[in-house]
Amino acid sequence: MSKEKTPRRKKDPARALMGPIMLFYFLAFFLLGMKGGNWESFLLSFAVPAMIYIGTFGISRLFPADKLLLSLTNFLCALGVLILYRFSPQRGLTQAVNYGVGVGCMILCAYVVRYMPGWKWSTVLMMGGSLLLLLLPLAIGTEKNGAQSWITVGSTSVQPSEIVKLALMLCLAYLLSQRRVVLSVGFAGACLLILMLQKDLGTALLYYGVTLVLLYASTGSLSLVGVGIAGGAGAAILGYQMFAHVKRRVAIWLDPWADVRNAGYQIVQGLIAMVNGGTWGVGLGLGNASVIPEYYNDFIFMTILNEFGVIFGLIVLCMFLFIIIRGIMIANRSRTVFHALLATACSALLALQTFVIIGGNIKLIPLTGVTLPFISYGGTSLVSSLCIIGFLQGIASRNEAGVHADRALASLGGELP
Amino acid sequence: MISEGYELLSLFMRYVFIGLGILILWRAYRWMRKDSRAYKKQMRALPDAGLVGEIVDLNSGKSQPLPREGMIGSSRACDIRIKSPGVLRRHAMFAFEEGKGLKVTPRRGAVVLMAGVELRSSAHALHGTHLQLGDALLRVRLFAGLKVPQAAQFQMDLTEQETEDAPWDEDAMPAAFSQPFAPAEEYTPVYPPVQQPYGMPYPPYEEEPQEMPAQPQGMPYAENMAYPDQYAENGPMNGPYAPYSQENMQQGMPEMQPMQAYQGEYPPAQEEEGEDEALPYQSPVNRRRRRSRP
Repeated sequence: MSKEKTPRRKKDPARALMGPIMLFYFLAFFLLGMKGGNWESFLLSFAVPAMIYIGTFGISRLFPADKLLLSLTNFLCALGVLILYRFSPQRGLTQAVNYGVGVGCMILCAYVVRYMPGWKWSTVLMMGGSLLLLLLPLAIGTEKNGAQSWITVGSTSVQPSEIVKLALMLCLAYLLSQRRVVLSVGFAGACLLILMLQKDLGTALLYYGVTLVLLYASTGSLSLVGVGIAGGAGAAILGYQMFAHVKRRVAIWLDPWADVRNAGYQIVQGLIAMVNGGTWGVGLGLGNASVIPEYYNDFIFMTILNEFGVIFGLIVLCMFLFIIIRGIMIANRSRTVFHALLATACSALLALQTFVIIGGNIKLIPLTGVTLPFISYGGTSLVSSLCIIGFLQGIASRNEAGVHADRALASLGGELP
Repeated sequence: MISEGYELLSLFMRYVFIGLGILILWRAYRWMRKDSRAYKKQMRALPDAGLVGEIVDLNSGKSQPLPREGMIGSSRACDIRIKSPGVLRRHAMFAFEEGKGLKVTPRRGAVVLMAGVELRSSAHALHGTHLQLGDALLRVRLFAGLKVPQAAQFQMDLTEQETEDAPWDEDAMPAAFSQPFAPAEEYTPVYPPVQQPYGMPYPPYEEEPQEMPAQPQGMPYAENMAYPDQYAENGPMNGPYAPYSQENMQQGMPEMQPMQAYQGEYPPAQEEEGEDEALPYQSPVNRRRRRSRP
């Protein structure tokens, strides 16, 4: 009896990628369960991979989503849940809930970008609403780490600048697609001014960077970007002269060992944790990165380096890089100027935020209080980061529809009559 | 207190995690590269992807691909670059809108003539529309298959140009289409759209109602029947639809007899396909309406 050769089935790249991701989290949570012997970790070793699977394949059933972007985003979000759960199970579970909420918001944002017929009036509304939201912490906000950028509602705290970040990207993309350069610069300038008054310089740096990138992408004018850079440098000098905590942060950046017990304590502990982890890390569950005061938030990258090592840290950085490259690819494939600019803004914002916080952690630049996207603890930050991915997903699905339309047009003739 | 067994296991698992991380990274990279190649291949197969037609400079004869939206001007940053006297660096914006055409909006201080008319605000250009920017005379050409109203190929007013040879010419188009463009906000298509959803009625025509003599439903018209006013306006008719032959006309027109109501039984209903041939005269309007009936 001769054996008939069955045609080799093509491997789905999404499933090929999903396998090691799910295995990673199954093994990691199982290991944590073996350490503490609690059933919750064993349960999570099944629940988190299942969540990643549903978060990737379930969403791509709703609309033609970019599964590569989803897979990498889900990996980073789950890494945040793992690291937080390892040090504080309560924080880990809260982050898992935030992750679920963020996925819901991501779907909503993708639908909005995909189906919104026009952005004119919504841009006007968003501009007004954004300025009001940014002004709110100045009136009723609370101060954290030197910046008055939080509003406390009941037991939860919300950072309006994280929500306005999304509105800023949408407004700038729309205005610049309509070539309203002066209005867009005016709006971004007003937002930056309010952020300076809040003393939230990290977020101000992100807003400034995104505005500059979008100005260049839409106008291609180097002189305009040069004026923007000069203005930014002037504002930085002014901020240094005006705010005492900016001076202190620059001093810590230059020499953290000068005041190692007080102001420089956090950055020094972060550097020690990184060196202690070395190339391969100290092992999951064996590190002691919780001595860093903000180990769960601003310094979560140092915690990862401590437990998993520098090589794994580079892998995480490469994943961020892949997400940014994917965003730029989506921008390149966009059919309209607005979508191209929005995708560029999303990629630029993620790149800037990652650079600013990791650069601050490893003492490359002065430390500013921004979160590491997808990984750091915090509901507003995680949800806004996932909303950015939602925008990219919406644009990617529109690009896919555009290619289908082109194919249909080509089959109809698609020639000049 | 962490047990030695766990410590050993965790130290070993460091390498597993890094290995899995590298595997994830490698597979993601391969996927991205494969996707990029597939997209490039797809774009090579669809060279007009993202375009809606072309713009021809009638002075130089050169054409430029027309994207879905962008800017016309003399600047290098413009999507359609026209180097001609009188064309500003950023002269006008354009955006293709499904079902309407190419929306052209002149920038502040820029003058755009569409089919010889100066644009005050935005207007939709159709296939074949001429644009004038400065000294440059451009022609918009849109791809076949796009959902846009058809531009008129010739001017014809149905009410004025009815001739006795072909008063019911189906190819005749209403006067609304003699204009190659319409203002952006005010434009409403008058002619029935090319693709009419099944079962939907066509928009009503503004046409002089013509009274037909009383005729029982389902009965064929009499051989020598004509519209009363048609006879009165055009004078004596010849041909198969003339109410009377030339000989009879020369002898003197007899008095028209009113039709008698049919007294007998109605014949069975005719098939729809054969119905057209049975009728001596049908205007295009009536014919279409009859087809749209269930």
